Amino acid sequence: CKQQHDQAVVSTQSGHYGRDPTEDVKRPLTNRRKVKPTKLRSSIKPGTVLILLAGAHRGKRVIFLKQLPSGLLLVTGPYKINGVPLRRVDQAYVIATSTVVEIPAIANDKLTDAMFKRKAKPTKNEREMFIENTSEEPKISAERIALQKEVDAVVVPAVKKVEMLPSYLRSKFTLTKGQFPHQLKF
Amino acid sequence: AVVSTQSGHYGRDIRLGDYAGKLCVIVDLVDQKHLLVDGPTTGVPRTVVRINQVSITDIKIDIPRGCKSKKVRVESEKAEVTSKFQNSGLFKKAEAKRSKAAMDDFGRFKARVAKVSRNRKIRSTVRKLKKSS
Repeated sequence: CKQQHDQAVVSTQSGHYGRDPTEDVKRPLTNRRKVKPTKLRSSIKPGTVLILLAGAHRGKRVIFLKQLPSGLLLVTGPYKINGVPLRRVDQAYVIATSTVVEIPAIANDKLTDAMFKRKAKPTKNEREMFIENTSEEPKISAERIALQKEVDAVVVPAVKKVEMLPSYLRSKFTLTKGQFPHQLKF
Repeated sequence: AVVSTQSGHYGRDIRLGDYAGKLCVIVDLVDQKHLLVDGPTTGVPRTVVRINQVSITDIKIDIPRGCKSKKVRVESEKAEVTSKFQNSGLFKKAEAKRSKAAMDDFGRFKARVAKVSRNRKIRSTVRKLKKSS
């Protein structure tokens, strides 16, 4: 059973002939695994147009910015074009198209996984639980909005340079009759 | 028989099989349903094919029946078979099908937009004409 394999039996007695099982110490086996971010598909490069397959924005076409250390992909609509903000997306839930937009490298230290961490809700004690929170913090922080504007100021002009690309990003991906994903070329 | 007894040696298009879409020349008839075919300029080896694997074009080369591949090559190059075929409707239709299948997602979007705008224009003009009549 698994219990037995996850632990190594370490004898506390050394140099003794025969060990006393009651004196043995069970320690977990050393885990030397190093977690690496998911391997990025060769078809996904900065500026690639991706089709989101799941989530609130399913069917929408977005621009890929970079892969975050967590392995997730950072994408943007751009927000003004299709309402998709700076968002993390899993590679598995994405179709990479062969359309690549030339965007200058966005070197922004703030674009990391830490940016997406949710703020812990302040714990209420027993009395406060029954009092409604009158001052609601705005759902989207001003920081995020500023960052979005900063990134899109670079991405949107690059998108507008390509003919019909803004309307392409505004449209959603759908399958019509006679179209089968395994036969389509993206 | 599909090919007449005087054996018009036409260049034609292999539709099915390993050499799908390639052009070759009918060199000889084997029986009612089989043809000896050769396409030295297009990479089709000298083989026997079933008539239904093939569609015959009206491009003709002047070669004696059963002649060797070398002669077929010389004569087809002289008659400029490939350029004649590329101007034919059969080739153009096949090309259109191939390019449609090779379209990427952006291409499909552009094609859809073009089709929609074109149909809108047509419909509006038709409506205008109907109103005026």
